[in-house]
Amino acid sequence: MNTPPYGFTEYIKEILTGSKSLVIGLWITLKRLFTRIVTVQYPRQKLTMTPNFRGHIEAIRFDDTKTHHCVACGLCARICPSHVIKVQGEKVRAGALKYGNRYYIDFSKCSLCGLCVDLCPEQTLKFSNEYELVFYSRWDTVIDIMGRLEKSR
Amino acid sequence: MAGIVGLLILAAIVPLNVAFLVLVERKVAGHIQLRPGPMEVGPHGILQTLIDAVKLLGKEMVTPQSTDKLLFFLAPIIVVVPAFVGFVPIPFSPMMQIREVNVGILLIFAFSSISVISILMAGWASNNKYSLIGAIRSVAQNVAYEIPLLLATMSVIIMTNTFKMGEIVQAQSPVWFIFYQPIAAIIFFIATTAETNRAPFDLVEAESELVSGFHTEYTGMRFSLFFLAEYTNMVIAAAMFTVLFLGGWHGPVFPGMIWFLIKTYFLIFVVMWARWTYPRIRFDQLMNFAWKVLIPIALVNLLITAMVLKVI
Repeated sequence: MNTPPYGFTEYIKEILTGSKSLVIGLWITLKRLFTRIVTVQYPRQKLTMTPNFRGHIEAIRFDDTKTHHCVACGLCARICPSHVIKVQGEKVRAGALKYGNRYYIDFSKCSLCGLCVDLCPEQTLKFSNEYELVFYSRWDTVIDIMGRLEKSR
Repeated sequence: MAGIVGLLILAAIVPLNVAFLVLVERKVAGHIQLRPGPMEVGPHGILQTLIDAVKLLGKEMVTPQSTDKLLFFLAPIIVVVPAFVGFVPIPFSPMMQIREVNVGILLIFAFSSISVISILMAGWASNNKYSLIGAIRSVAQNVAYEIPLLLATMSVIIMTNTFKMGEIVQAQSPVWFIFYQPIAAIIFFIATTAETNRAPFDLVEAESELVSGFHTEYTGMRFSLFFLAEYTNMVIAAAMFTVLFLGGWHGPVFPGMIWFLIKTYFLIFVVMWARWTYPRIRFDQLMNFAWKVLIPIALVNLLITAMVLKVI
């Protein structure tokens, strides 16, 4: 073992450098003591989610039709790797596109891959900001996308 | 008669003060870690510790099977006695003192040594390896840190020639002793932090390694008596520092009592602040620090003080 020399000067030096670092530590915590608190009192205050947060999917409301653009093509239901999407549409009048009126997802099986959002030819799907995803039963995890759109009106 | 009234006031104030200090501690800890601390019970959580005390009072007092029943029962009772006695000679203001004892400082030191015995009793009677390790650590730590504590106090006693706490305060009328004895003050502060088992010297209860040490097996009100004693010892240590080095009740404008409380509570705040700043030190570091750093410096400081005052 090759230890450096430890005499009286090193003893004094160790005490002084140690004391200095103690004071620096105290100064840091004192500054923190008067910094603004970032905690949010959750059930009473809520944070706004960032735009790239992925909740379950939901339909976008467009200004021109005042509703979604879903044509019930079923591409999202086909691409979905977990088969969680069920979409149905009806023809309102002859010659027109179909109008999607039923859209359900089983969120308990959704892996939030986002293929449906990327694929949608009408670009009427997006991720919601919903993060309070607590359910009492497995059936509650089935989310009625069109119903949500109607309710949010 | 006045003594009895004083003791009754003490018996009421000490637990309330502890409830207040626990709340302050949690608030300081929270704000240092950028949290708000307790917020739910009462505005900004000011009733939190009172509710906790009620909860602890309502709990069952469990005595584990393999304990030494008598010692297990006695330890939490003995631990609070020195905490109460420590208040007797402390002069809060020229008039507010329960009793001026000739050897006031020695009285506090003598009784605070009893709390070590009760911690050892608690750890031994629990019949639990963690409690026993905590208790043994407590004894080693308190024996080691009492020496620099007494040596630092001695350098003040040499200057005043008295053990009466009131007269020590009166001797500091123009200049506080912290300016004459800065090194003794620092040593006294460190040693009292270790004596009251506060972080960074809280090896006695070290939650992360000893499952809170000597009071692991205690529940309900017995546990809260240990808590009460710890925080009351903190108040006594801060009050002694105020008496010995910060000029007790001396100060401009406000009456003496207010100045005394301001100084005491500021010191308690510093102790809490240090707790939430420093990590716990290792046990060999703790012992080396006492025997290799604090005691030699305290001895040299005492020697210089004695030479300056008595020889020259």
